Amino acid sequence: MGAAIPTIAEAARQIAAKELSPVELTRACLERVHALDERLHAFIHLTEERALAEARAAEVAIMAGGPKGPLHGVPIGLKDIVDSKGIPTTCQSRLLQDNIPDRDATCAEKLAAAGTILVGKLTTHEFADGGPSFDLPWPPARNPWNPDHFTAGSSSGTGAAVATGMILCGIGTDTGGSIRGPAAYCGIAGLKPTYGLVSRAGVAPAAFTLDHIGPMAWTAEDCAIMLQALAGHDPRDPASADRPIPDYREGLGRGIKGVRIGVIHHFHETDHKVSDGTQRGIAAAIAKFRDLGAEIREVQLSPLQDWAACGALISITERAAAYEEWARTRLGDFGERMRSRLMLGAFVSGVDYLQAVRRRRELRAELHAAMADLDVVLTAVQPTEAPKIDAVPKWDVFQQPGFMMPFNVAGYPAMSVCAGFGAGDLPVAIQLIAKPFQEATVLRIADAFEKATPFRDRRPGIA
Amino acid sequence: MPTQITDEAFEYLLARAGLSLSEAEKAELRRVCDGIAEMAERVRQPRGIMAEPALTYGFAEEDL
Repeated sequence: MGAAIPTIAEAARQIAAKELSPVELTRACLERVHALDERLHAFIHLTEERALAEARAAEVAIMAGGPKGPLHGVPIGLKDIVDSKGIPTTCQSRLLQDNIPDRDATCAEKLAAAGTILVGKLTTHEFADGGPSFDLPWPPARNPWNPDHFTAGSSSGTGAAVATGMILCGIGTDTGGSIRGPAAYCGIAGLKPTYGLVSRAGVAPAAFTLDHIGPMAWTAEDCAIMLQALAGHDPRDPASADRPIPDYREGLGRGIKGVRIGVIHHFHETDHKVSDGTQRGIAAAIAKFRDLGAEIREVQLSPLQDWAACGALISITERAAAYEEWARTRLGDFGERMRSRLMLGAFVSGVDYLQAVRRRRELRAELHAAMADLDVVLTAVQPTEAPKIDAVPKWDVFQQPGFMMPFNVAGYPAMSVCAGFGAGDLPVAIQLIAKPFQEATVLRIADAFEKATPFRDRRPGIA
Repeated sequence: MPTQITDEAFEYLLARAGLSLSEAEKAELRRVCDGIAEMAERVRQPRGIMAEPALTYGFAEEDL
């Protein structure tokens, strides 16, 4: 505790120069876990002994032959819906509280192969849906900027642990905003990649065709480093894309002069009006992009409510199908919020679902046409600063449409980038969305913004 | 606007889904299931018989 928390990029440089030992780095992360996690509940299962053993092995390998890449010796965490061989993987549910997988998820395998150090499994919402819940065997994660407030979910532990330096990066998953939402509320960077870019194999489903796996870290550059290790074809995932993988860091630092940014003003100013603090963050970000040489344009899409309805019907139905057997036989073993979500499946007909999938194609075509002359589009991530954790509505899906689901419906890469601080000194964020498989573009723009603003210089006071 | 679900239809759909709910859960669900019907109306467009669904997995060339 006390020492500055390095980014992955900084740690990698120091490790390569033999100025930082993976053992020292891992011990520092574990000290933060021991100091903070009693209040934040970011971890559901700590793998301390294994982490120290991996760190010692990494140190020996690096001293002998240098690091195998920028993640070698870097402490990470896995959301607890990600299978980890020999380590409990509970999905934050009573139904799987004794589950120990016999194989790693592909994303866990890839991060291990890159030389990362697994610090533990991270808190989520039950089966990545519906929290915060107070009736599960484990408590929900707390916001590190103010523990009375919500982290958002469902990659809630990942958001809290990265923000406070308990890990340098972690895996998140995103079905309607579960990477970007916690990234926004916890003031970190989170990238939902293009659908199919990162394998879903070995990750518990929330909704098969909306589920995305992706990086959460302190900076866009760190997300790029992590994505480099995660991206790529996997025959274990039937939706896995088979495409060449670019160098995601190649464009970083090249500036964004001439980049074309379309702002979907009506999403966050009319369809679902955001808080004053969020609006100020968005307006200041647009002004900063203009200062950096970007061209700012206006984009008009179908109302946010159309995107939300499409995503919700698909999500409700696919989740109900995935968990139908347990819903029929063990409904009472789910927590209240997940149980309620599962019940909704009874009220979506097969025709409703398929009309939603037909609407999905139209909406995707609409976004494709709107972005023909643009590099990215921009809107809000969250409508407000993080609410109190005991004031999160249960049925928000029917109240106000969210800003993230449109890009799960479309499958486009979308990133949450910290854009300052609003009411209660809590973080606010912008969302940047690129065309399919153009993650390098969104990372380059996010990186330029982070380097031109002071928001990466400040960690939560608790850390 | 969709019509409100009848008690009989509500019970039938729950039974068909194999869900055993308490009376309190049923009452709560009654309050929100109209929201599902509204969303189901919203995704219906005059699109004709030839409009295809999105690919379940991945992108077609026309999407890129």
